[in-house]
Amino acid sequence: MSAGRFLPLAGALALAVLGFFLPRLLGGSTLVYDTLVVIAIFSAMSYGLDIVLSDLGEISLAHTAFFATGAYAAAILTVSYGQSAWVAMAAAILASLALALALGLITLRTREFAFSLVTYAAAIVCMNVASNWDFLGGSDGIVGVPPLDLSIGPITLTAGQSFEFWPYAYALLLLTIYFVYRFRRSSLGQAALMVHMNPRLATMCGLDGNRVRLQVFLVSAPISALAGWLYAFQRSYVGTDLFDTYFLVLMLTSVIIAGRGLLLGPLMGTALLMSQKSFASLGAYGDKLVLGAILVAALCYSPRGLAALWPRMRRGPL
Amino acid sequence: MNLLQQVVNGVIIGHAYALVAVGWTMLLGAARLVNFGHGQMYMVGAFVAWWFMRLTGLPYPVAVVAAVLVGALIGAVMQRLLMRLTLSRDLVSLMIVTLGFGQMLEGAAGLTFGARPQTLTSPFQSMTLHFGAIWFTVQDVILVVATLVVFLALRLLLNATKFGVAVRMVAEDPVLTRLAGIDIARVYMGIFAFEGAAVAFAATLVAPRTPILTSMGFDQVVTTFVVVVLGGIGSVGGSYVAGLSLGLFTALFGALVSPAYTTAAVFALLIAVMALRPGQLAASANFAR
Repeated sequence: MSAGRFLPLAGALALAVLGFFLPRLLGGSTLVYDTLVVIAIFSAMSYGLDIVLSDLGEISLAHTAFFATGAYAAAILTVSYGQSAWVAMAAAILASLALALALGLITLRTREFAFSLVTYAAAIVCMNVASNWDFLGGSDGIVGVPPLDLSIGPITLTAGQSFEFWPYAYALLLLTIYFVYRFRRSSLGQAALMVHMNPRLATMCGLDGNRVRLQVFLVSAPISALAGWLYAFQRSYVGTDLFDTYFLVLMLTSVIIAGRGLLLGPLMGTALLMSQKSFASLGAYGDKLVLGAILVAALCYSPRGLAALWPRMRRGPL
Repeated sequence: MNLLQQVVNGVIIGHAYALVAVGWTMLLGAARLVNFGHGQMYMVGAFVAWWFMRLTGLPYPVAVVAAVLVGALIGAVMQRLLMRLTLSRDLVSLMIVTLGFGQMLEGAAGLTFGARPQTLTSPFQSMTLHFGAIWFTVQDVILVVATLVVFLALRLLLNATKFGVAVRMVAEDPVLTRLAGIDIARVYMGIFAFEGAAVAFAATLVAPRTPILTSMGFDQVVTTFVVVVLGGIGSVGGSYVAGLSLGLFTALFGALVSPAYTTAAVFALLIAVMALRPGQLAASANFAR
């Protein structure tokens, strides 16, 4: 391995290790752990949207539904059927894939705002179904999700308290980032960029735009669903509030604020937004106002994100 | 369950849908802007009217005027913020900004008006008219008449005035319009102010039917954009027909099948239309018709 490749790798590893000890470095209080766990989970959720938004260039407003699908799968299988967290994880992935496939096929021929409108409608319909269908807990949601238990044979892997939760949330975050990194170097990631940036060239290269779009959509859904799966255990209940526009705006803002296409962008965006919420909260309504204002200001005054202010940091499609 | 009564209800709800959607239709047709803040603007319109009545004690019609003025102001502020993105036709960014804008309105409304459900009281809501087995309120009559007036006036404005011609030009090609010596910032200002005023007007007429909540914008937005999309994007006449059809559909579906799943059924309708006629979702050539 040459030095040119080794250095970034060593840097990334050092950063990953450092990140793991971040909550202890920040004092290790419950609030710090809670905040960081939520940052890790919401970042992972945002990465699902990031792939569609930054690489494919479409705005999916249905990723709250994928997120909620993961959470509901976790809650239903552990509470109603007494299954393990692993089974729930598989179900979260499968359910989100099924939903993404259905939605992807419906929206195959729609572009731009039509695509966004339909995905938004789909999210609202999912919420409507969730609040009316008793199987999904109805408007009360599902309470009493057990503590996370991922034990395999003799190895005990459980988490109830927030500081016990951190390793799992952090692992999910690292895996997600690695996955997105690999995705951007895969042939599908390259194809998505080409379909986004230059559809005609893509067609001439023999790429089927609709096929690429559907594939990227399918890849992105389980990422947000896994975040939802973990969130259900962290919060121990699921409800229709998971479909709230708050999560949607949070995801969009996280992806956009730091800079689209930046590998660590969604993480930085989420960290910024959730830190405000945890440490400088203005109440539920005040936080909403701040979140909306940040999104509006970012797009109206620096549409390429904060990172555009440091041109050398930039990487990626835009 | 009286079927005729359901049809009457459907016609009334349908006019409500059409009136709520008219501003968005204009915005979409003329500026290609999908306004996800539309539902929150509706909510703010209703709350401003309620607040105004509570603070000043003035009667309902005055509150309607106040809400319309505030709505127009919100539209104008939005236009100022979005001008650059509108001119560069960055549709994707525009759409996300409106989501953020809606979030801001909801937060601000929560801080100002509180979290409790309120009632916008209209004196016309308690006046009922009975014709045999069917009945409706004077408020419903006002709503239907107002919707017809707004749609006819808009049609006249777009087709027979100089400003209307400018709006249609901007819809076709803003750059060319500017070359023709028209101040397109002013045209956009007019369009955005109309969107704000129209949705606030709709809110003051529709909201007395149900309690109002600062979180109600979210639900409002879904039916509205189904109307906008089904009507053929940006088509004024189309959105009237779509609103009316959707009103009849929801009233009959709610009465005959299941009230809980009405939204899901509306969406299924949307999917069916999209699958059968995807061309409708393309940028429309039918604007102002």
